[in-house]
Amino acid sequence: MTIRNTLRDHGQRYRPRMACLKKAEKVMLEMQDPKTGVKSQPQRLVITTIPHAITGEDIIAWLADRLQVETQEARNFGSMLVALGYIYPLQDHKRLVIKPDASLYRFQTPYFWPTQQWPVEDTDYAIYLAKRNIRKKGILELHEQEQYNRLHKWMNHKWDFIVMQAKEQYRAAKERKKPDRVVFECQERAYWVVHRPPPGTVSAMDYGLDRRIDPNAEETKTPDFYERIMIFTQQSIMRPRVKSSVSIGAMVKYCATYSSHDPFLSKCLPSNPWLTDDVTYWTLNMPNVEIPTTMRVERWTFSFGELLSDPRGRNDFRLFLKKEFSGENLAFWESCEDLKWGTAATMSEKAEQIYKTFLARGAPRWINIDGKTMEITLKSLKHPHRYVLDAAQTHIYMLMKKDSYGRYMKSPVFKDTLKKAICPDEHKFSDAQLEQNAKNRRPSLSPIVLRQLELEQKAKMAANVDITQLCRFTTPVPHLAVYSGISDFPSANASPSLPFLAHTTACPSPISVALDSTSASERRAEATEGEVEGNPAARVPAGGNVSKSRMALSLRRLLKRGCTPSTMFASLSPKCHSAAGTSSRIQPIGPDQPSQAPPRRIANFFQIKVDIPPECRIYPIESEDEDEENRAASRGGVGAKEIICPWESLTPQNGTG
Amino acid sequence: MSRWRRSVDELAARRRQQGECERAQEALSRVTSCFQQLAASLGSSADGSFLRDEMDETRALAQRICSGLSQRLVHLLSDCDSAPSGVEDRQVSERLWVVFLSALENFLSDLRKASDLIGRFPLTQRYDRRSLVNTGCIDGMVGVAARVASVQAPWITLEEEPSPDLTNHITGLEAMLSEMQLRVPVAFWSVEATQPAWAEARGELEESDDSLEDLMEVEVVSNNKMATCCQPPCCGLGCVG
Repeated sequence: MTIRNTLRDHGQRYRPRMACLKKAEKVMLEMQDPKTGVKSQPQRLVITTIPHAITGEDIIAWLADRLQVETQEARNFGSMLVALGYIYPLQDHKRLVIKPDASLYRFQTPYFWPTQQWPVEDTDYAIYLAKRNIRKKGILELHEQEQYNRLHKWMNHKWDFIVMQAKEQYRAAKERKKPDRVVFECQERAYWVVHRPPPGTVSAMDYGLDRRIDPNAEETKTPDFYERIMIFTQQSIMRPRVKSSVSIGAMVKYCATYSSHDPFLSKCLPSNPWLTDDVTYWTLNMPNVEIPTTMRVERWTFSFGELLSDPRGRNDFRLFLKKEFSGENLAFWESCEDLKWGTAATMSEKAEQIYKTFLARGAPRWINIDGKTMEITLKSLKHPHRYVLDAAQTHIYMLMKKDSYGRYMKSPVFKDTLKKAICPDEHKFSDAQLEQNAKNRRPSLSPIVLRQLELEQKAKMAANVDITQLCRFTTPVPHLAVYSGISDFPSANASPSLPFLAHTTACPSPISVALDSTSASERRAEATEGEVEGNPAARVPAGGNVSKSRMALSLRRLLKRGCTPSTMFASLSPKCHSAAGTSSRIQPIGPDQPSQAPPRRIANFFQIKVDIPPECRIYPIESEDEDEENRAASRGGVGAKEIICPWESLTPQNGTG
Repeated sequence: MSRWRRSVDELAARRRQQGECERAQEALSRVTSCFQQLAASLGSSADGSFLRDEMDETRALAQRICSGLSQRLVHLLSDCDSAPSGVEDRQVSERLWVVFLSALENFLSDLRKASDLIGRFPLTQRYDRRSLVNTGCIDGMVGVAARVASVQAPWITLEEEPSPDLTNHITGLEAMLSEMQLRVPVAFWSVEATQPAWAEARGELEESDDSLEDLMEVEVVSNNKMATCCQPPCCGLGCVG
């Protein structure tokens, strides 16, 4: 009685198709032809000869001739036949390769062929081990002993049967003539080397997970079956069509570009780990390695997508953008990716975060997308879902691709990376070294560990977001120093906290805001954090209650140092700084700004409480908080400029904007 | 008094039946292992009509043993339910049951393989022989056939049923298997092995087979030197055989 292992079964119990088996069998049968097949010779033993032994070189020659391939290819194919178990070596029976010399091989009998329909049973293996035990009086190899003990434990209930059967099979085999007996023993041994490989070797019969449905079974023609066919054909009809010349041209171009990078078609430097068991190639190409290889860097030049999808390439690009002060594009793109691929639970939170950081007017890292896209995005942000930022993301992606990417290719950052990239020499392993490598195979880093490292890296990056990357084109908050680039700030000896301060509160200031609004307190917390760290755009720690007087204090300090409002204004206006860069949609600045602050259309979607006109703001800064609050309360239709996301619950203070 | 007598009789009868089943089980093992030897040559150069006929005969014998054994086992185990019996008795019966079912499964898998192979190498035409795999086996399996013929089972001579052809045989056995499992509830995991692990290695079973080892090892070196046939036996290049 077989106990099926239901624990790990997962309902997957059918072996997937291994199409190679049927094809290999066809070749095998052709090899048997007495006239056109492989030449066989008798194998001389002490007491007898056994026919039908074939040499490795004969096999390779026959394969090369029949399949019209080169010798090396024929050799690989021959090795595959041996690895699958259709041919077994007579010497060195544990190494399943074809040696291109006079080493002897023999064909495996069809009973022991690795076909699809007969899964290899543990019961048979147990019987085989018991038989070996009998024959060799208990001297089994280590892995065989382990397997024996394991099977004895798991199959204890049928162990009597196993031992009985083993004895009977042993006796039955003795009834055969000696040479046939030798052959049968060799066949059986070869079969089990293929299907229960000794540790440290790779089995060619490894096929991954079992399948849920039987691939050899006929599919019943239920209505559901036909429905699936119908849906499939409908979708095929709906697909957009492309001229074959175009698509073929694209494929040719792709092949030409990537052929030298394909490990199947060209050499893998230093060596292909699957062939030589040496993992240098993988170590050199880790996702976030310091120094990339030249091949990798070359791939970045193929397309923008390649650059972005390679983590090391993306880092490089990020560095370049940092120098160009347009890092918000990449940051936005990455946040969109994060939203798309993240868990559903965090989605609305993420969407909110992204909105506040990138999309809102006056956001710290405001990205520049055209009006239509912005409108669509803001509209759909009302009901956020996974793909709500797709349009904006595509726009930014195209922006980066058409503009930044080109400049990146010519930039010193890239040139530097290219210069430093390493090109390893090819390994030349001898056979003995290859065996050594095979013995020293170790499992790679657990994916859990890798994921942890990834997350740590992300957190580190988020914490270190450079404040210089804040948007220059933020809607100016005239009553607060707008970020303008530190070097340009007129009062060089201003408290260093101020510019930082300004940046973080570049969102229209929450200074005068009602304290109970969480977003404001968040932002205040941002501000205090900002004094130390800079734009917490990525990960904002939930703010504690920071007194807003601190901010007011610093502002006071600044103003006491004698910056007149006008000069401050002038220096603070973005117009002072050349708007070189990706776009030219600079918001008009100046006192008139707040009064017409959010355009009407947006005001429909979220409330913006506009602050009192800036002139009033600057002077009475020394006034106490109550004054500010009073002022905030007594708005002539204007309130604290605070961004409330459209999907947040509406507060009673209805902004009039 | 008579009740005690009856129970003793019943006990004795049961013991007898169990003994019968055990012997039948051994016979079945013998037959199935011979069948495996025969099936291993299917599709090879040793394949032929003689082989196939032998296989059919072996199959038929196995079928007779199986059917008889299954009847008796079912009878034994369902009987046990009604009559009060010792725990050991029941255990013995259960062990027989599990052993028989395992043997049946094993035999079924061999039958399926054989059926598939016969389908693939039909040998109906002369040219079919060209595609037979040259495995090095040339024996006519005479010895194996003789072994099969020597099998004794208590009821073979009694019940002479016509043997079914291969596919029907397979379906019949599958039906038997499922039916048996349905009719008698036996917790097969509660059966324990009578002998400990590695016991068979310590047995003095037959004469030692060193010559076989030598033959398998000698292959290692014999490649280039086809002329000489005398090889020193212990020249295995690390091949434990």
